Amino acid sequence: MRIGIDIGGTFTDIVCVTPDGTLLVRKVPSTPDDYSRSVLESLPGLFAEAGSGPGQVQEVIHGTTVATNALLQGSGARTALITTQGFRDVLELRRIRMPELYNWDWDKPPDLVPRRLRREVRERVDAQGRVIHPIDSRQAEQAIEEIADTGIESLAVCLINSYANPEHEERLADLVRQRLPELPLSLSSRILREVREYERTATTVVNAYVLPIVQRYVRSLQAAFTRLGMGAPLLIMQSNGGVMTAEACRRQPVYIIESGPAAGVIASRELARRMNLDNVITFDMGGTTAKASIIEEGALQIAAEYEVGSSLSSVSRLIKGGGHLIRIPAIDVAEVGAGGGSIAWRDAGGALNIGPRSAGASPGPVCYDQGGTEATITDANLLLGYINPEGLVGGGLPLNRRKAEQALAEQVAEPLGLDLIEAAYGVHLLANSTMIRAVRAVSTERGRDLREAVLFAFGGSGPIHACGMAGSLEMSRAVVPQHPGLFSAFGLLSADIEHHRVQTCYQDSRTADLERLNRLMERMESEVRQLLEEEGFAGDEIRILRKADLRYSGQSFELSLPVPDGPLDAGAIRRLEQAFDEEHQKTYGHRAREGEAYTLVNLRLIGRVAQRRSLLGDGEPAAAPRAARSCRRAYFGPGQGWMECPLPARTDLRNPRQGPLLIDEFDTTIVVPPGWQARCDGSGNLSLRLADPSGEGRRPGKVLP
Amino acid sequence: MTPQRESRVDPITLGLIRNTLSSVADEMANTVIRTAYSTVIRDCMDFSTALCDREGRMISQGVTIPFQLGSIPFALESTLNKYRGRVRPGDVFIMNDPFDGGIHLPDIFIFQPVFQQDSLVGFSAVVAHHLDVGGRVPGSAACDNTEIFQEGLRLPPLKLYEEGRPSESIFQILEKNVRVPVMTLGDIRAKLSACRTGEKGLLKLVDRYGSEVLDRYYEELLDLTERVVRAEIRSWPDGEYVFEDYLDNDGVDAGTIPLKVKLSVRGDSLEIDFTGSSPQVKGGINSPFPFTVSCCGYAVRSMMRADIPNTSGFFRPLEVIAPEASILNPVMPAASSMRGVVGFRLSDALFGALAQVLPDRVPAAGEGGNSLILIGGYRKGRDPFVMFDLVAGTWGARPDKDANDGLTNPGAVISNIPAELMELEYPVRLEQYALATDSGGAGRYRGGLAVVRDWRYTGEEPANLTIRSDRREHLPYGLYGGQPGTGSMSILNPGRKDERTLPTMVTETMQPGELIRHIQPGGGGWGDPMSRDAEAVRQDVLDGKVSAEAARESYGVVLRAGSLEIDWEATGKLRDG
Repeated sequence: MRIGIDIGGTFTDIVCVTPDGTLLVRKVPSTPDDYSRSVLESLPGLFAEAGSGPGQVQEVIHGTTVATNALLQGSGARTALITTQGFRDVLELRRIRMPELYNWDWDKPPDLVPRRLRREVRERVDAQGRVIHPIDSRQAEQAIEEIADTGIESLAVCLINSYANPEHEERLADLVRQRLPELPLSLSSRILREVREYERTATTVVNAYVLPIVQRYVRSLQAAFTRLGMGAPLLIMQSNGGVMTAEACRRQPVYIIESGPAAGVIASRELARRMNLDNVITFDMGGTTAKASIIEEGALQIAAEYEVGSSLSSVSRLIKGGGHLIRIPAIDVAEVGAGGGSIAWRDAGGALNIGPRSAGASPGPVCYDQGGTEATITDANLLLGYINPEGLVGGGLPLNRRKAEQALAEQVAEPLGLDLIEAAYGVHLLANSTMIRAVRAVSTERGRDLREAVLFAFGGSGPIHACGMAGSLEMSRAVVPQHPGLFSAFGLLSADIEHHRVQTCYQDSRTADLERLNRLMERMESEVRQLLEEEGFAGDEIRILRKADLRYSGQSFELSLPVPDGPLDAGAIRRLEQAFDEEHQKTYGHRAREGEAYTLVNLRLIGRVAQRRSLLGDGEPAAAPRAARSCRRAYFGPGQGWMECPLPARTDLRNPRQGPLLIDEFDTTIVVPPGWQARCDGSGNLSLRLADPSGEGRRPGKVLP
Repeated sequence: MTPQRESRVDPITLGLIRNTLSSVADEMANTVIRTAYSTVIRDCMDFSTALCDREGRMISQGVTIPFQLGSIPFALESTLNKYRGRVRPGDVFIMNDPFDGGIHLPDIFIFQPVFQQDSLVGFSAVVAHHLDVGGRVPGSAACDNTEIFQEGLRLPPLKLYEEGRPSESIFQILEKNVRVPVMTLGDIRAKLSACRTGEKGLLKLVDRYGSEVLDRYYEELLDLTERVVRAEIRSWPDGEYVFEDYLDNDGVDAGTIPLKVKLSVRGDSLEIDFTGSSPQVKGGINSPFPFTVSCCGYAVRSMMRADIPNTSGFFRPLEVIAPEASILNPVMPAASSMRGVVGFRLSDALFGALAQVLPDRVPAAGEGGNSLILIGGYRKGRDPFVMFDLVAGTWGARPDKDANDGLTNPGAVISNIPAELMELEYPVRLEQYALATDSGGAGRYRGGLAVVRDWRYTGEEPANLTIRSDRREHLPYGLYGGQPGTGSMSILNPGRKDERTLPTMVTETMQPGELIRHIQPGGGGWGDPMSRDAEAVRQDVLDGKVSAEAARESYGVVLRAGSLEIDWEATGKLRDG
């Protein structure tokens, strides 16, 4: 039996696959005072339903926001930092940039290490890794002595050019261990052997800052499992979509910061594989945000760096500087502040805007009748007939339509001089166009054509907007998986064990020192193999994937390309250059002229052990209870107006059926507009197709009459 | 449908079109960032992308550098004046002439008219600062240039592509007149690529809505922008507000350069009058009029609270007056390659005037713009290099809180260049990048600390060193009782026997092994320092941002030696007495 546990701020999702392939799911409120409590309270019931016990659990795979929350709330460990002399303020100066224009009110995010806890040591290595000034051990000892008295709980070390030669950082580590043997230590050369001092410092500091928190958390979770009688290994989802053992995670927790969003993309990749779909856009719309990512030819898109805690109000991802930078590969997930609870508001010029302010889970949309007063996307969707008025979550939460009408009329329709329904439809369309920016960020902004791709919509609100989004993006196909509200948790059950490494090499490809490149690759490979073997995997289970980051000499952004197996020789380099030209053409629409130089910036290596995979959809979906009514009216824009929509269950759609349809489920509704058709496949996934690609569904941006 | 109904503009469609336009302009900006070659563009984001309607009015701008906010309509207008009736599908225009709508030679504009079949539907535009456009010195920009002819290749509005065919002549002239053609041409390719991205985006809109409908919505977007700006100005108190700020010198003739502004708030419009400012100067810091207007736009917009669309409608309620042949509206043959510093100073002057209109909003002066440090020369084998480093920035204190220490001037949101990358790419070693203790102006709210950066030149042959900096004599001002920040400083070989203080504007030779240290100005304080929370002063001392001596001298806060606890009695005496 395998168990996936996805703990978020609001809900804890648990999915479980029994040996006979039965799937069991739980969605329970999270318990922020002690996150393990909700899990512990749910598992016994789950075991009972499965007819098995804790001893039968083979592994637990876990996605968690504990590290992200520590960063966002500033509740990490008291951390110190040691740098090269002259560079004490690298962390605070950041990239000097701010994410917003014209805003003198903006403040930098607080430093994770205050200036008083940053110390310098006298030493210097140059860009080639040669020692210019040997480390001054006595002065270093003195610096360590000074911070020893400050009550710190964690220490980060990042010296200039240590990616090229880690000798001085290792020497410092020895000195620290002599004086403070128990102090958790994060060395930049072990976490990120890549050029750029701010990025490396910030990443190392994040690791140090969350490390004691994650250690405690993992330990308490493991202790709880032991009390339950579960001896199964605990694996944790990383930001890059792989999983790592709890032990590895306790050393390098910086790898799990974006654990949560990664799971949904991994679930999508697995489902795409099963459905034989190459190109997929994932679209996960919850209460406060919408997230998008892209799967291309079955592969995840990995971003080299990302920020945590930057404001969602800067819609553009161009200008960084708003959050805590982490340069660790992560699934490239773009997020915008538009979810079911996002508020519709008018700006000073009278134009309508959506989000990023959200009514969240509490008080929630006006129609939840729990104190919310500002009109939200969910309120608009209710008025349009898209949501079951008898209530979400199987009728457990009745909706107040009258209040939603009143809020939307007063706040949107009247001031804009629109009919109520025009206003609601406008909010729905604007929500789509806001969320489309997230999709664009991961696709067209990188030169990707979406027309052949399929949209996977999940999360509580994703299925409501699926067809509208797909249409606006000129996509003619969407898929809503079973249990869209729990879909992310299934990703946990289909991830592989992975470890990622990087090493800056920075060489002109024409004159590259091939022997050195091969040596660097071999070193990374042996490190990763050793780590995996320590985690209990055998050599023949391990797959090694190699990559290289190239750019035209003079550019500052690299593209990552796969490196085939075998030694790196002149021919391999030449093929890499050609692959780079092609990728550059594909991404940016042009390539350099013949004879231009390439810089080989980084080598990357991933060690992977494939896991057994299981996913929702392996079994037949259970027949849903009949809806009390057979039809509901919904509004599909001025062209079609109000239409009577049948309310079939997913299982009624074995044969394709034309929209308009509304499929009410436990935690969401799937809206199938006119012009689209829906069909449920043998695994319970709902396929939505644009029946007539030139028809109305394609033109959601049509001007209102 | 009645015709009246049809001509209506509905707010939802407007919102959708506005979202799409900004998304396309951002996509263009992204293309530039990722494909550009030079450090200025890629790391300093010294470029802008925009979409314009068929009349050349800007309807959307990519979020990059505020100082270029208003420059595109000027440049496009002058291009269209020349080519009206001769704009054809497949054409692409290029220009950089500051006497013909441009903002200085390194900023090259590229305009691509967008056609649907034979009908012009708009323009896709990109302007970017190029590392080198030829001229007297590497990097093209030098404060001691005294005529535009020394500043590089001057391009009036020209067709770089004519009906789809590249102009071989222009490409060859470009290639032969710049120092690192691979870089300059690579950057131009990046801009062309971004223009195509813009073209695609505009055409998709035309496809969806039709060009006549779009015209109506573009018009409305411009009107909407104007309405928002006028509404905001109407809420400001009417009156005339005067402020004067200064540049230390122009790098050629010694002497203070005054920038005088009279801001008149009249109902829902503003007049910004620079009469009384310095005549144009010899040194290359004259600000072409379009640049002057852009900088005014930035300053005014920074103090507005509303969310304003990025369109040229913003400028409708603003009138900018700068006398001809003044430093803010120079005539031939004024040099202007280093006019950035004047842009920062005229914004500082305008902020000073705005601080009287909106005392609860406007911060004290920040560092006054980035300093430019340029080391250029040849590696072994006559392989040329140009290290172009912009040092930025720090903020002035705000009416309700401290400044940000070490953060870009919002006028030019740039990024620093990692020391480790500089060391990989150029014969330099960075030996310090830090905040300077006691450099922030004292105040109830403290000004930002200055940034210090040290470069050691590690090449083998003597190199050219160029520095453009300011605010050594005329310090970043404090407001309402706040003290000014410290002045800038450049020191060659600090601590060595041959240590030497350099002037603010430098063009000289640097020997291998020499070290240049540049200290930026600190930000001004806001309010009386004696009223600063004593605990906040103590925290600054604990962080080494303010020394214990300065805590006593400037803030009247006495800390006990060793423990650094506040000595309340001594503090009370100092503060009350």
